[in-house]
Amino acid sequence: MLRLNRLTGAVSALALGTLLAGPALAQGEVVMQDPGGAYGDALREVMYDPFEKETGIDVVTVQEARSGPRIKAQVEAGKTEWDLTFIFDQETRLLGDCCLADIDYAKLSPEAQETLATMPDNLKRPKGVALQVIGVAMVYNTDTYADAQPKSWADFWDTEKFPGKRCMPAWPRFVMEAALMADGVPKDQIYPIDMDRALKKIAEIKPHVSKWWTTSAQAPQLLLDGEADMCMAYTGSSSVLALEGAPLEVEWNQGFVYYDFFSIPKGAPHYDNALKLLSWRLDARRAAELTSAYPVALPSPLVYEQADPEISKYWANNPENLAKAIEWSPDYWGAASGHGTTTNEEYGQEQLNALLAQ
Amino acid sequence: MSDATLAASRTPLAQRLKSPVLLLVPAVLFLAVIYLLPLIDLFRVSMSGPTWSTHFERVFSVPLYWESLIRTMQIAFTVACLCALLGYPTALLIHRTRGIAQILIATAVVLPYFIAILIRTYAWMVLLGRNGPINKLLQTLGLIDTPLALLFNRGSVLLGMTAVLLPLMVLSIYASVARLDTSLTRAALASGAGPLAVFWRVLLPLTLPGIGAGFLLVFVAGLGFFITPTLLGGPGDQMFAMHITQQADSITGEGFLQALAVVLLVITLVVVGIAGRIMGFEFIWGGGKLGDGKPRPVATAARVQAPRRGFGMVLADLLGWPLLRLMGLLSAGWGRWTVRIMGGAVIVALVVPIIVVMVISFSKASYLTFPPPAWSLRWYEKFFSDSNWMNAFRNSLLIALLSATISVSLGATAAMGIVRSNIRYKSALMLLLVSPMIVPPVVLGLSLYALFLKLGLVGTYLGLAAAHAIGGIPIVVVIVAASLQAVDQRLEQGAAVHGASPLTVFRTVTLPAIAPGLAAAVFFAFLHSFDELVLSLFLSSPRMKTLPLMLWADINYQLNPVLAVVSTLEVLLVVGGIILARPVLTRGKPA
Repeated sequence: MLRLNRLTGAVSALALGTLLAGPALAQGEVVMQDPGGAYGDALREVMYDPFEKETGIDVVTVQEARSGPRIKAQVEAGKTEWDLTFIFDQETRLLGDCCLADIDYAKLSPEAQETLATMPDNLKRPKGVALQVIGVAMVYNTDTYADAQPKSWADFWDTEKFPGKRCMPAWPRFVMEAALMADGVPKDQIYPIDMDRALKKIAEIKPHVSKWWTTSAQAPQLLLDGEADMCMAYTGSSSVLALEGAPLEVEWNQGFVYYDFFSIPKGAPHYDNALKLLSWRLDARRAAELTSAYPVALPSPLVYEQADPEISKYWANNPENLAKAIEWSPDYWGAASGHGTTTNEEYGQEQLNALLAQ
Repeated sequence: MSDATLAASRTPLAQRLKSPVLLLVPAVLFLAVIYLLPLIDLFRVSMSGPTWSTHFERVFSVPLYWESLIRTMQIAFTVACLCALLGYPTALLIHRTRGIAQILIATAVVLPYFIAILIRTYAWMVLLGRNGPINKLLQTLGLIDTPLALLFNRGSVLLGMTAVLLPLMVLSIYASVARLDTSLTRAALASGAGPLAVFWRVLLPLTLPGIGAGFLLVFVAGLGFFITPTLLGGPGDQMFAMHITQQADSITGEGFLQALAVVLLVITLVVVGIAGRIMGFEFIWGGGKLGDGKPRPVATAARVQAPRRGFGMVLADLLGWPLLRLMGLLSAGWGRWTVRIMGGAVIVALVVPIIVVMVISFSKASYLTFPPPAWSLRWYEKFFSDSNWMNAFRNSLLIALLSATISVSLGATAAMGIVRSNIRYKSALMLLLVSPMIVPPVVLGLSLYALFLKLGLVGTYLGLAAAHAIGGIPIVVVIVAASLQAVDQRLEQGAAVHGASPLTVFRTVTLPAIAPGLAAAVFFAFLHSFDELVLSLFLSSPRMKTLPLMLWADINYQLNPVLAVVSTLEVLLVVGGIILARPVLTRGKPA
């Protein structure tokens, strides 16, 4: 017994020691959500390392594709861990009141203020600021389609004219819109989405889809490996490879453009540091520098003007691309579906999953 | 028991304090707070809709979910059948070979059992990949022009799950084959029965309990499978546990998410409950983590066998004889060769993926291709120079050490309490102690997340170690209880009669006898935590990446050879651990 007591004592001492040492509550840090991959590497090199050197604040990056549910759970339990996160636009409405803090724009640096002045109001909301503009479009292998190139979602669906394997995201957003356009719906009449019609069209392409991907790096990888010849893909990761000389091309016609909003969760442990990092990222010069490492841009004309035109031709907010693309509707996907407590996105996901499982 | 007799002359209170039952208290308290409570809370949240059944109605009314439930059961059942079919000849092969061959074959089966499921699944992704060895071989042989799509279909899911769960089945069957009285088969042969008749009338009925136990363990594990189907399956292979993690990505999923988990948990418990009623709940721990295939206590075996024998015989007579007569036309060598070929194929399937991964870790290419175009150590350099990987490695090591400490101190004392006390409801307590083995990890992770968030344990070393200890305790209890049962109690009583205090008895008699078991328990509890992924997925935090979490992120993002390096190091760790533990294990083996 005595021996056991001593053992238990040792164990709890060890446990206590580790507990205290574990979550070091250092003041000089900021916990930032990170996309990982090549984009994450670029951010680390161009943004975070110099930031750490100059301010002495450590940037702790967390790789997480989708932060909404975690933020909600953390804030509701009063244990917020993150300081700066990107929230899907369609989730900002649901999360805004419960879980996100107001951004104190007045405290941002002069450089950041200058950039913000050039951005439309819709991109600098009280609870979120758009730091990146994202494109989702058709990407194809230029070797496979050397003679005739696909120009629309109707071409994407036309496997006789353009034989070959396809890959698409395993999400209802973008895929359903593309299906409707392929089915002949004009681009200004897509919303609200007729899900039954979209699903019927998706069923047509399904036998030709080699992979329904879930992370942004998969689509270009599938194209390079020859697992697919034509994909719906993120333009960012695909254009990196195109710039490096890979046989890929991005077709912006009927593509989708949207913004990732960065927010500070309520109760963030390092609110002021989060503002400092936000200022850093809103600096137009650095933001332009970032795009030469990874072509995802800050949605400000100031950044656009400072960037290399070779690179900015791949940007989602390039006026030429914007003109061809459609305005994707986060409002539609974030709205209640009328089926239980789900949003349109969640309900659509359920429907799409059921179709794919067949 | 020795304590009780010794303390008979003292005051009742002191006597009660000396009761071995008290040894159970820490483990039971620990599990009650960190394991049962969250599960109960899960039920509460799942019923928090407008009416208690709202969320459950959705589970059973939306085809996506109940179809997935049926699919999950089909897959788990198929995998269990495949495992039984392939595992039986393998167990026989281990039993029939001798000397070095036996050790090699046994190692080939046991070794993969202790390597993380994540890593073994990854090995299959490498093997079946577009540039993988199988496609390359077929192309070299000129059988195909373009690589086949071997991944992301039902076949690859079944193959991967069967390979991952086979060792469990083989060990379970081997335990009952090894117990077999070989004179029975000799007697049957001497009485004129052919080899097939011996198999059908003697071998199979006597080993049926082992098959049954293995079948159920594999089926139940298969129901909660998440890692392998996620990585190897296509959209048509969604298993139920995957819906739970997917739903965790939805911000309006509260309640429904918990309902999904409750459904999975209840189905698992019902299956185990029915099985337990038929064959005794001992199958859970009897065929469980006893990796060295140590024969179980005879009493257990007898109890399990009794009701099954009659049924097996009837089945054999009804179905078997016509078939048997037909097969009897073949010569005796066929049976032997069937066992050798099938057993051999199984061993190849278990070992080759691991070897391929180890070879690829020395590749120079920046993507996965086999054979490697050139050799280099660049991926080892990358691993050891990358601070993220090294941090994750350190975290995993610390958590596993802490978790093993918790598991062993609580589990070993509880095992003492179970074996040495005479309380009622002993089996019920044992069932509680080992039950974490059968709860799907996804369900456990989800239920713990809410509790950990409230206690501020998310992403702490102690939190993760404690969570891993939930699964570590059953391993320790099973191993230490088996070692304790093998200790000759007359020695303890002898020492006590001669005036040794209970503590001295423990230190000088019991501890040396169970030391090998204890050492094995420490190693396996450590490994359990070191390999744990699913709970960590729910309970980690920004700062707190473990090695399996890093692997998981990388596998999902891009398959690169650094993963092969980590896998190779893990294999070396397991091999090293087994080699280190071997002298202790063999020394302590009761004759």
